[in-house]
Amino acid sequence: MKYNSIIIGGGLAGLTSAIRCAEAGLKTALISAGDSALTFASGSIDVLGIRQNNSLVQYPFEEISHLPSGHPYQKLGAGQVKQSLHFFTGQMAKAGIQMSSHGQQNHSRLTALGAIRPTWLSQPGTKALSIAAPAAGLRRVAIINIAGFRDFQPALVAAGMKKHPEFAGVEFTVADINAETVNINARNAYELRSLEMARLLKRDLFSQPKGLTIFASAIQKAAGNADLVVLPSVLAVENGNELISQLEAHTGLHICELATLPPSLPGMRMANALRQRYRELGGLLLEGDEVLSGYFDNNKLNSIKTRLNPSMPLEADHFILATGSFFSRGLDSNQSSLTDKTFNLDVVEAGQREQWSNERFLNGHQHGFSYFGIETNERFNPYQNGKAITNLYCAGGVLGGFNPVAEASAGGVAISTGWFAANQIIAQRSGSSGTAK
Amino acid sequence: MLNLINTSFDNCIKCTVCTTRCPVAEANPDYPGPKQAGPDGERLRIKNPELYDEALKHCTNCKRCEVACPSGVHVGTVIQLAKAKHGGFKKGPREFMLSHTDLMGSLSSPAAPVVNTVTRLKPVKKLLDKTLGIDERRTLPKYTGQTFRSWFNKQSGTQEQFKRKISFFHGCFTNYNDPTVGKHLVSVLNAMNIGVSLMKKEKCCGVPLIANGFFDKARKNAELNMNQFARSLTETECVIATEPSCTMTLRDEYPEVLDVDNSEVKDRIFFASAFIAREFARGNQPDMKPVKLRVAYHSPCHLIKAGGVIHTMELLNSIPGLEVIMLDQKCCGLSGTYGFKKENYSTSQSIGQGIFDQIEALGVDYVVTDCESCKMQVEMNTGHTVLHPLTLLAQSLT
Ligand SMILES: Cc1cc2nc3c(=O)[nH]c(=O)nc-3n(C[C@H](O)[C@H](O)[C@H](O)COP(=O)(O)OP(=O)(O)OC[C@H]3O[C@@H](n4cnc5c(N)ncnc54)[C@H](O)[C@@H]3O)c2cc1C
Ligand code: SF4
Ligand code: SF4
Repeated sequence: MKYNSIIIGGGLAGLTSAIRCAEAGLKTALISAGDSALTFASGSIDVLGIRQNNSLVQYPFEEISHLPSGHPYQKLGAGQVKQSLHFFTGQMAKAGIQMSSHGQQNHSRLTALGAIRPTWLSQPGTKALSIAAPAAGLRRVAIINIAGFRDFQPALVAAGMKKHPEFAGVEFTVADINAETVNINARNAYELRSLEMARLLKRDLFSQPKGLTIFASAIQKAAGNADLVVLPSVLAVENGNELISQLEAHTGLHICELATLPPSLPGMRMANALRQRYRELGGLLLEGDEVLSGYFDNNKLNSIKTRLNPSMPLEADHFILATGSFFSRGLDSNQSSLTDKTFNLDVVEAGQREQWSNERFLNGHQHGFSYFGIETNERFNPYQNGKAITNLYCAGGVLGGFNPVAEASAGGVAISTGWFAANQIIAQRSGSSGTAK
Repeated sequence: MLNLINTSFDNCIKCTVCTTRCPVAEANPDYPGPKQAGPDGERLRIKNPELYDEALKHCTNCKRCEVACPSGVHVGTVIQLAKAKHGGFKKGPREFMLSHTDLMGSLSSPAAPVVNTVTRLKPVKKLLDKTLGIDERRTLPKYTGQTFRSWFNKQSGTQEQFKRKISFFHGCFTNYNDPTVGKHLVSVLNAMNIGVSLMKKEKCCGVPLIANGFFDKARKNAELNMNQFARSLTETECVIATEPSCTMTLRDEYPEVLDVDNSEVKDRIFFASAFIAREFARGNQPDMKPVKLRVAYHSPCHLIKAGGVIHTMELLNSIPGLEVIMLDQKCCGLSGTYGFKKENYSTSQSIGQGIFDQIEALGVDYVVTDCESCKMQVEMNTGHTVLHPLTLLAQSLT
């Protein structure tokens, strides 16, 4: 069985490239071993938010030229990074989620720990704050939880925000909405994760004729006349953004949802939308199977072997490896070395084990391991024993040479490198005339 | 016999991804979901079996949780084994009847016209509902008067003449309820110059037995089947099954759930689409004429789990003129015997609603799926006839 392109890994990078390939009419298959980091992510797309010296980046695209030379963005250049994000926003809109940015500028988003993080693209339910003055226009902030929900701690959010000098003059209200007030009936409220809360709310409250007004008045009562109301993202998976804007219309308040501990509903929403878009374009999605190895010949990857169909290798003209970082098991490490688990490709030099991380995990300094990953050429082709594999591209977290957390660039790198890899494949195919059916 | 010291569930990182994909937890918030029922619960149960949770009975063993888990935890299996180990199965007459598909088949098939008429009568359905708890709103499966095996016996001479041969595991449904798919497999393979032979004997693969807690019986069946396979494989290339759940069970669940070693034959058990797609790719493709239809393809849970969707799609796409729309990969809700039980009826229907709505909105000629249980559920809930992919392939043979 032969495909034009096979994409390995169903995260942000894999889905973006798969959509791009399928839209261009390529016979495309996407294989993913399990759900991706999107189920944990905030639902905003970070492009580039923090410099090496920890200062905030206001204009991410302008900042790209200051990055070190091995950085994925340097290989793409600001123009292509911008184009890829434009493509992504368009695809999300077609799948029903209108994401927004502030022109070329970053904005700030709140986290469930009360930190203020720079980001570039957000869903409507995430209320964007100004990057330079995040507290501008805020005198009273109300942080509200549904009583018993343990994956969100309003007091912690308030304490975190207060640490930020900008918020010194802001008054914080911390309040709970009682489960009885909004009629939800849980087996055991203390066991609920965000998703289970959303399912209960759907069953017991929002499906009732007065559900929305009941919830709106509970918010009003808890929030008073706050300028910003912060809620954990537990209200709905699919139509969460619409629900928040309806609540805003009912209450006249400004409501912001925060992704909680996993699963993150805004992240799931994004993953669902991308999968749906890919299927609409006729792409084939194979979940729950894992690529075990590849057959390489003459600096090309010919076919791959998967766990569920080991005797039936899958062939393609081009492949994209988007298997993510350590967390998604795309990269693997042992006492002395780092490997790409799937194909054993060359990785960015890891150095001595002692230098892999800082002594203190959260001391604000960067960790060496964050830069680890697969080494690639200018076209994002990886190397095997020093030789570039010309029909294989790498994208997203599996790449080396950037630090997704410290520089706040994870989503942007995944999208832009995935888009770029797909473009390379499409360009090569339009040059040739063969079809691969 | 059950694997008591397996602690692979401890690979669980508590991310709750499995619960995001569980169709039962979504439809019925009384079910705590795969994370709690599976790896979380297992830790407690190992310590104290009294912490066994009644709620486990809601799991349909659809395996969606396993497909989604980023850490490779066999969540569904953990739940099934926990139920078995701690007496979580109710094994009344209803469970016996629903799960002993080959016994029921061999009793009902000879009297098929009578059985089919009787099981469609309202008072009979009411009676089954009241006495056994089989929901009266369900359409019950029909039986065939001529079993697949008896039809095949008249064919066996022809099949002997082929140089290449495969063994066909027909399963209960093809044999006793509707032999159509089996017949179509024979004609497609014959068109590819491959003959079909049957095992001397075969027993139900065990899916409904496992789902209802008859593990000993399932294990006996598994041992018999594996012996038969080994014997049959000396004369044929491989064993093929057309039912996704049978294939998954024969290949993956025998060692994992029943502790029956199938390593000698495992790599030679194929889902029909996989075998045929591989033959096509090697150039053994019969001439095909266009089938001008617009169809919606529904991927069965156990086929997703077994990695077979890619092969079925490959075959459907190879039929000239056929327009195939892939439905969202959601569960249809029947899950074999699950949806027949009165207490599960509404959960089952609400799980499938998304698929039914999507089908109605698409305006297709037919729905296509590989699974007989999905077929029953979709036909009962939509105005559409459901075809097996092999039926379309058979139609396109010139
Ligand atoms: C807690 C958390 C919070 C985050 N928050 C943000 C945020 O706020 N903003 C932002 O922009 N980004 C955020 N990110 C990162 C972002 O969500 C992207 O997921 C990330 O950029 C990586 O995307 P990816 O596609 O490269 O890999 P992943 O999302 O890691 O996906 C890799 C996929 O590959 C699969 N895979 C691995 N090996 C194989 C194999 N051999 N065969 C088949 N499949 C395989 C895995 O199962 C997985 O599905 C966050 C990430 C985490 C973990
Ligand atoms: S998806 Fe896997 S790792 Fe995550 S909670 Fe479920 S079993 Fe645990
Ligand atoms: S097997 Fe299916 S029903 Fe059971 S826990 Fe997993 S996803 Fe839910």
